[in-house]
Amino acid sequence: MEKNPPEKSPSFACPDDKKKQDADRSPSPDFIAIDAKSEGDHEAEDREEDREKVDEASSDLDSSLAKVSEEIDRFLSTLFTVEEKSNPPEIPNHVDQFCMLVEAMIAKYDSGEVPSKWCQVSEEDASLIEAVDRISKLTNALGEFPSESNYVSSHNRTSTVLHRAMLLLEEEFRALLEDSRSGDSDPGDLRMKQPSFSSNHEHDRCVLPEPDSARAVNFPAYSPEVVSNLNLIATAMISASYDKECYQVYSIARRNAFEESLNKLGFEKVSIDDVQKMQWDSLEGEIATWIKVFKRCVTINFSGELKLCEAVFSDHPSISDVLFIEITSGVVLQLLNLADAVAMTKRSAEKLFKILDMYETLHDLIQVIDSFFSDECANKLKSETSTARCRLGVAAVSIFCDLENSIKSDTGKTPVPGGAVHPLTRYIMNYLKYTCEYKDTLEQIFQEHQKMEQSDGPDAETETTPCPYNNNQTPKPSPFSVQLVTVMDLLDLNLEVKSKLYKDLSLSYIFLMNNGRYIMQKIKGSAEIHELMGNTWSRKRSSDLRQYHKNYQRETWSKVLGCLRDEGLQVNGKVSKPVLKERFKSFNAMFDEIHKTQSSWVVSDEQLQSELRVSISAVVIPAYRSFLGRFRQYLDSGRQSEKYIKYQPDDIETSVDELFDGNAMSMARRRT
Amino acid sequence: MPTSEYQGSSVPLSFLGRSILSFRRNQIISMEGTQEQELEELELFQKHVADRFTGLLSSRPSSDGIDNILSIAWLRKLLDTFLCCEAEFKAVLIHGHNPQIAKPPLNRLISEFLDRDVKALDICNAISNGVESIRQWQKSAEIAIFALGQKPLGEGQVRRAKKALNSLVASITSEDKESNGNTSTERAWSFGRRSGALIKERSSGHLRSLSPSVSRNWSASKQIQAMSGNLVAPRGGGESSGLASPVYVMSNVLVFVLWALVAAIPCQERGSLATHLPVPRQLAWAGPVIGLQERIAEEWKKKEKKGSAGLLEEIQRLERCGQSLIELADSFQFPPEAKWVAEMEVQVAELSENCRKIEEGLVPLQRQVREVFHRITKSRTEVLDILDQAGKPSTPVL
Repeated sequence: MEKNPPEKSPSFACPDDKKKQDADRSPSPDFIAIDAKSEGDHEAEDREEDREKVDEASSDLDSSLAKVSEEIDRFLSTLFTVEEKSNPPEIPNHVDQFCMLVEAMIAKYDSGEVPSKWCQVSEEDASLIEAVDRISKLTNALGEFPSESNYVSSHNRTSTVLHRAMLLLEEEFRALLEDSRSGDSDPGDLRMKQPSFSSNHEHDRCVLPEPDSARAVNFPAYSPEVVSNLNLIATAMISASYDKECYQVYSIARRNAFEESLNKLGFEKVSIDDVQKMQWDSLEGEIATWIKVFKRCVTINFSGELKLCEAVFSDHPSISDVLFIEITSGVVLQLLNLADAVAMTKRSAEKLFKILDMYETLHDLIQVIDSFFSDECANKLKSETSTARCRLGVAAVSIFCDLENSIKSDTGKTPVPGGAVHPLTRYIMNYLKYTCEYKDTLEQIFQEHQKMEQSDGPDAETETTPCPYNNNQTPKPSPFSVQLVTVMDLLDLNLEVKSKLYKDLSLSYIFLMNNGRYIMQKIKGSAEIHELMGNTWSRKRSSDLRQYHKNYQRETWSKVLGCLRDEGLQVNGKVSKPVLKERFKSFNAMFDEIHKTQSSWVVSDEQLQSELRVSISAVVIPAYRSFLGRFRQYLDSGRQSEKYIKYQPDDIETSVDELFDGNAMSMARRRT
Repeated sequence: MPTSEYQGSSVPLSFLGRSILSFRRNQIISMEGTQEQELEELELFQKHVADRFTGLLSSRPSSDGIDNILSIAWLRKLLDTFLCCEAEFKAVLIHGHNPQIAKPPLNRLISEFLDRDVKALDICNAISNGVESIRQWQKSAEIAIFALGQKPLGEGQVRRAKKALNSLVASITSEDKESNGNTSTERAWSFGRRSGALIKERSSGHLRSLSPSVSRNWSASKQIQAMSGNLVAPRGGGESSGLASPVYVMSNVLVFVLWALVAAIPCQERGSLATHLPVPRQLAWAGPVIGLQERIAEEWKKKEKKGSAGLLEEIQRLERCGQSLIELADSFQFPPEAKWVAEMEVQVAELSENCRKIEEGLVPLQRQVREVFHRITKSRTEVLDILDQAGKPSTPVL
């Protein structure tokens, strides 16, 4: 057998051709320049020779290939039956012929003459794959006779052709993976991938016009034809023992594509350091994107990627698992990075909700990890995910517990005018209302946190989260509800202190009523808080409120009612006119004064306002009416009567209806 | 808390950490307020740091290369050392419940320290990514080993090996180019006759295998510089400065360990780091650290001239073996002469041995880097909690 047959270039004949293609594909002039420079003249000649060979061979390629293949198969079956390795049969000429035919086929691909490249399973592709498979078998069979020099020589020849074929397949594999995705973008995302098809790769055939509805969820977006070609090539490469190359190309191409698909959703890598320096509103945006991306991975991308792996490597399930892990686990770790970074940022109240959103997202991920990843990897990812989730949980607990401090540190000495609802009450209650929308998550977080602290052994005393639950009562309320009650109690305490800032005791009751009512309304408005605080607490609050009401009544109105008492009016069994006059006078003065001050007080809750007015009217008006009825007669009618009886009962009612209006103008009419 | 506890270390860290902690705790109970005791402990911490780094420095090149400085095995020891120092530091800092740490000037030092921690985390991530690159190179090397191990060996297999090695060497070199800050789009292709194959690889996207783990404009060297820029030795040495001294020592340990990692493992934008970090020589623990620094910096300068990549011994050997096998492959003639085959087998054996080391060492190294990440995060949280506590209103308003 000849050495170094002339139709074979000494080195990398095949890649040279591919090189040319690649250079053509790339718009960069650098590549072409270097390409031209780097290629030796002899290599160019080789290419010429290859071309000639192609022309020569392609004419009778189809007709002769079938015949030669048959011969090769016959030869192969003979070789398989050879018992004695030392005495194999003569190598038929068909082997060399077959090598030339395969080379011609490869050259045809390299030159871009093959019309439809791998977009659909063409006959041409199928016959190339078949030929490659045959040459691989042939190479293996020839290699079985290392002591026969002509076999070794033939083996050298076929293995070189095989390598050339593998280079071609590898390139095609890569090109298919990289270029033939039909745009795995969101339906709303108009920035479709700019197709980078080369002129000699007619991939545009692959882009199937898809109806809009089908484009909604499309990952990894290879047409079924492309997938089946990927599978063909992978199978051929693996059976020719070029598996490592195949996996490497696949893993890298898909990993980049996977990341790219996340980038299209807006995901960008951010360093932990940068996250610490970011403004909250921009970080909020990052988190929103992150959640979107994670959800997309969990619902679409992971299963799409897994399906693709399984389809391409259908005969090698264990490999498809490994590759899937390689492609996706890095992405998961990268995504977890933002969770870590956010959990590390300076804690502040407004971050709680986004942190809880992230926590829930990771929770969802943990639920599905098992369905995508195999044991060992699942465990690693799960542990990383739960660590990150835990950090978010710790941040959430710490932020929530910090409410205690924002209450404690609210020590302003200026009372809210009119005894109205304090801004702190509004803030805390609205915050709690939002927080309790995450009730189940928070219950879980607090539960975990408690367990963590208890199990932390010697480190326990360094865990300094100021949540004072560790009491061993049974049945235990949930740690979160305990914390919620702590916050509410602190708020109460704080409001009590604030109520003492009012010099007028009545006003401080109004203040307590206002704030108490606001709290109750918020709790009634949120089934979650209501449930957490429990009925007992609510009943206690209601009775407190009633007490404040009574106290107010007593404080403001008992003296007024004292003027309308019978006692002390009679002197020696007769109604004393001066005392009576004095009574009327002081009633009028007191009532005027109350009306003047208390109509500037604020009760913005309409129900409370009306309850108060009704209760005042109910006490004052009948008393006044009966006092008037009984003692009016003792005053002279006319001028004197007008002087002392300033109000008719109806006037009293009107005035009472003007109380708690927040109106500084004492006598102004009530708003309609 | 399900932390990913690191288990593969040569030192039982959790045990060590715990024992230090409980030791410390007992001490507080029995010796409360004894200043002398505290001073002694600070000194002990410094002494331990010095001892551990002396151990690392005394790793001499050995025939089996196990202990060579900048080998994977050595880096694992380095990370062990870091974790030990960290555990002890935390014991000194946190378990003393020292109210000092929330007050000036210590609070400023602590907050700078915590800032360094954050930067360290990003570097850990970049290093993890670099370890992935090494894994890719290992795979290329394994293709070559597989191909050259075929019998009978034909030209096809030699070409296959050469292709894998070209991609390996080019990837190492380009990683180096990129990680040294050469981000311009026109690349210096000075690979001589291999350039043809390289263009093929490059244009088909084979080499740019992994995208950076951190944000695009992130730079390892800038982070290291930022970490070391504000490192100032506390006045009065270790004696009078109290906790300022261990904070300073630990900062130096942190910066040095990360610097060494960045030097050894491909990592985004790590050029211009071959300079010394400012460590005052007169301190006891500083001696071995400076010694190590000098040796690594020396290596770095040597390699910089040659224009090759990551200082990790295994990477350098991958590159060297790859290079010489490529040359050998170029001289292949069919049928191969016995001399050629013998030479090839020797080189393949070296490459295989190197791959075996990578195979064995990379996974535990990766796990350790993660452990460092988690440990730093955890300690940072704990320190912050203490600062937080100290800053809170201690009594209710009533």
